[in-house]
Amino acid sequence: MPGAPARQKTARCPRSIGEDAGDMDLSAIGSQLLVGLSRSMILFIISSGLSLVLGVLRVPNFAHGSLYMLGAFTAFTVATALGGGPGGFWWAVALAPLVVAGICLLVERGLLQAIYHREHLMQMLLTYALVLIFSDLVKLIWGVEYKSLMPPPALTGAFTFLGTSFPRYSLFLLIVGPLVAVALWLFLNRTRLGKICRATATDREMVDALGINSKWVFAAVFVLGGWLAGLGGVFMAPTVNIVLGMDHSIIISAFLIVVVGGLGNVWGALVSALIFGVGESFGVLFWPRFAIVFPFLIAAVLLIIRPSGLLKSVW
Amino acid sequence: MRPQPVRPTVEKDATLKRSALLPVAAAFLVLLVLPSFIPSYYVYLFTLIYITALLATSLNFCLGYGGLLQLHHAVFYGLGAYTVAITAVRTSLPLWCGLLLGPLVAAAIGWVMGWFCVRLRGLYFGMLMLALGQLVWTVVYRWYEFTGGDDGIHGLSMPPLIDSLTGCYYLTLVVFFVCLGIMYLMVNSPFGVTLQATRDNPVRSESIGINIRRHQLASFVIAAFFAGVAGVLFVVLERSVSPALLFWSKSAEVLIMCLLGGMSTFLGPSLGAAAVVVLSTVIGIHTEYWLIVLGVILLVLVLFLPQGILGYLEERIGSGRGLKGASEDYVEG
Amino acid sequence: MGSCRYKLLGLALLALFLVTVVAGCGGGAPATKEGEKPAAKPIRVGVIDTYTGPATTYTMDALDGFKLALKEVNEKGVLGTKIEFLQRDEQFKVDVAQNWAKELVMRENVDLLAGTINSAAALAVSEFAKENKVPFLVWGAMSEKITGAAGHRYVFSMLPNTAMSGRAGAVQMSKMPYTKYWLAGSDYEYGHSIINNFWDNLKRLKPDVQKLGETWWRVGEPDFTPYINAIRAAKPEVLVVGTGGADMVPFLKAVKATGLSKDVQVWVHTATDLSTLRPLGAEAPEGVLGTNPYHYYYPDTPENKAFVEAFRKEYNREPAAFALYGYLAGKFIAAAYEKAGAVDREKFIDALEGLTIDSPVGKVTVRKEDHQVVMPMFFGKTAKDPNLPYLVAKDITALSGTEIMPPIEEIMKKREGK
Repeated sequence: MPGAPARQKTARCPRSIGEDAGDMDLSAIGSQLLVGLSRSMILFIISSGLSLVLGVLRVPNFAHGSLYMLGAFTAFTVATALGGGPGGFWWAVALAPLVVAGICLLVERGLLQAIYHREHLMQMLLTYALVLIFSDLVKLIWGVEYKSLMPPPALTGAFTFLGTSFPRYSLFLLIVGPLVAVALWLFLNRTRLGKICRATATDREMVDALGINSKWVFAAVFVLGGWLAGLGGVFMAPTVNIVLGMDHSIIISAFLIVVVGGLGNVWGALVSALIFGVGESFGVLFWPRFAIVFPFLIAAVLLIIRPSGLLKSVW
Repeated sequence: MRPQPVRPTVEKDATLKRSALLPVAAAFLVLLVLPSFIPSYYVYLFTLIYITALLATSLNFCLGYGGLLQLHHAVFYGLGAYTVAITAVRTSLPLWCGLLLGPLVAAAIGWVMGWFCVRLRGLYFGMLMLALGQLVWTVVYRWYEFTGGDDGIHGLSMPPLIDSLTGCYYLTLVVFFVCLGIMYLMVNSPFGVTLQATRDNPVRSESIGINIRRHQLASFVIAAFFAGVAGVLFVVLERSVSPALLFWSKSAEVLIMCLLGGMSTFLGPSLGAAAVVVLSTVIGIHTEYWLIVLGVILLVLVLFLPQGILGYLEERIGSGRGLKGASEDYVEG
Repeated sequence: MGSCRYKLLGLALLALFLVTVVAGCGGGAPATKEGEKPAAKPIRVGVIDTYTGPATTYTMDALDGFKLALKEVNEKGVLGTKIEFLQRDEQFKVDVAQNWAKELVMRENVDLLAGTINSAAALAVSEFAKENKVPFLVWGAMSEKITGAAGHRYVFSMLPNTAMSGRAGAVQMSKMPYTKYWLAGSDYEYGHSIINNFWDNLKRLKPDVQKLGETWWRVGEPDFTPYINAIRAAKPEVLVVGTGGADMVPFLKAVKATGLSKDVQVWVHTATDLSTLRPLGAEAPEGVLGTNPYHYYYPDTPENKAFVEAFRKEYNREPAAFALYGYLAGKFIAAAYEKAGAVDREKFIDALEGLTIDSPVGKVTVRKEDHQVVMPMFFGKTAKDPNLPYLVAKDITALSGTEIMPPIEEIMKKREGK
């Protein structure tokens, strides 16, 4: 194969990060842990929405990644429309997930409610149809140029932690992630709607028998799921390239996290998001050349060990 | 409880058995003389359709008949194709060895993956398959020294008999008919009937002593084998491989073909494959927005025509013939 | 839900399906024998490229540049006729690209093929072009294999490949005092090829350089901070990076966020490209070194100004590097047909070999032996510009094409070795 001889040269590199790990001090591991945790938080925000929808609606929503992409693109538009000033990001955080939630309401009422009684394969294919449609719509609306969103000035730059620099924005994510988790917990355990959601997830017939209109529960949950996907998109936007096809890169990870965590179990999603995020970031540290296989390897191993997820599935 | 998904049934296929022989033979003869009458591009397109149709039919073998939520079937297609390419460039074995090895390698790796997967149910099954499939994709994408990495392997040479487009057409046509014939016989064999029983009513099947996992694993491996055959034919036609062949979006495309033609019929996936290949070409000539068109078609199908084109036609023609029957949802976790 | 509604919709769908199929087959003109055509027929170029997904930002630029070139050459006409093009989206899939190549050559009977940013697809289509003796002009894929090890009579590259880009970086870096290097990049063919060429050439030009280590990240890496921290801990003087288009934006963001460019000199191929710097706006880090084959503000020549003005007038934006590649392809096609004097594939190739044309970046030649375009590379440093909302390249040094080309003997050896 042409090119192969040239490649062997790099394979015999004198030192790489991986080989270096032995004499790497604690600070490198600490900073890697922080990076992994902040990535886990984004993954959790995105996959918790997917998990909720799976738990209550029982729909494996492949379009969840597209909602995340829409969140990021909308955030860009909101921030630019407001002059791209320092406040732009906060407006985007407030508005973009709402826009996505609005789209979700239309999708749920218009399409999804027609297929609740159908098998998973059909539901997946319908949501995959949405993936295809959204991907081309985004191209039609936003064009093909790369987009970038600026984090607010307070969150730009880095601070030094144990001798290594660490972006402020990652710290921000470390604060926001648990906040979202707590808010979700309060919603599910302290509000009437949340309790109905949990009840619907566990025993739908019973909830129907109690005379609760599950139609609007479903709509509300799907909207909430979309809002979380949009929120994930906004929070991800300042660190990445907002680009066509960004939905493809997240959806498989999100699904694996949700399934490994236990279908529909939001806390399972939190646990497996932590495993994925931290595992991946340590994979980079110790085995950089194969970091790309980590999500799949973790998922495969966990599913083989625990065939129905880490935590109890609500199904 | 969810209503029974539309799935192929045994009786219907059994009645078709004899009466279908004549039209099949006629179709074969027509397709045999076809290359003399159509321009060369359409010969190519027909060859591509046979390959894709074989791939889709093999998926339906474990999806429709076995009731397995196979979300990443393209892995075996890619494995078959890569086996040929790697045998050709990395070993000194003659090419026909690679051609024969392709399906065997696909089946062998299918057996390993399937062994793990059939322990899981429903969506968990699909997701484990997706994870394992993406794992294989990553290895192919990354292992430059062996697989050529993201650049793939191109410009393979074929033996003189199948070097020309018409030669390739005839090879593909014959293999396509033979493989479909074998799969048809399998579906209607005692094994196939038992397989469908495990799909429709796993509890009862188990209670009468059927080993469900073994049957599911067998259907998984057989499907992988025929997907491998399709992969081998793809290399004969295109003489190149690239990691995109086993990316998950390729699997989604094959699933759509099955749905479009109709998963409840044996020939539905072939029709779906032909439709997707032709439509993607025809529409792609006019617009770069093929995906949105495919999305809308898929939306209409799921909402209004879940039994697919052929399933719908069969339902109309042979209306009242048993498609209904209440039993457990096959993918319920 | 009556079954009546199902039937109706099912039938409607069937009808739609059949109509499109019939339209498709009926629309296909029967393929005619290839060869010389009467000059009155337009010359047809089949363009296969990715118009779906992240790479589209580059491919649309290339296509727009090509269209602009055709508009200009068609005003006078070429051999008394016009150049037309047919556009096909390969969706970054090799098998789709192969289908389109066959459709364009066998059914549409195009005179030549052009396009794709996807290296794997370019290599696959190149093999098809060789077999069917159709010229294929690559204007997007940068793999050095295309005109290197896998090169042949029928394939041409209209843009600097990874070999030229890596070597160009080394030429300029060897003039600087640094000796301690760290190499990094996206772990795929493009990244490795850039870095290998850079390092081989640097070692040749400056034998005392020292490699402290290497880092390879995956394509689509979401967070570069851990890599950057690890690299920084090793205290190299220079970090050399070969990372693909879509990863450039997050990488440069991470460089800015961690302040890496303040204590390590960073060189990234295409760091100064408009496609990257424009979306980043003020977020791009200053002082990053980069090589790029084209900037709309440099060189400050009348030819370049005219090109930028024409492009801006047509598309209301400034051309980035890929626009130049598409533009060059269009100009080369027209010039080669003029020189060949006939619409003939073999004569076209003979004419294009060694052909030199004037371009916005000066004289540009297609090297006769390997069909690789020889064009200059611009080495610069990112810096703020008071008049623009985004960073630009400053302190630009032009490296001539001949300085950065891999020697012909090397390429011929690779082709034989295959």
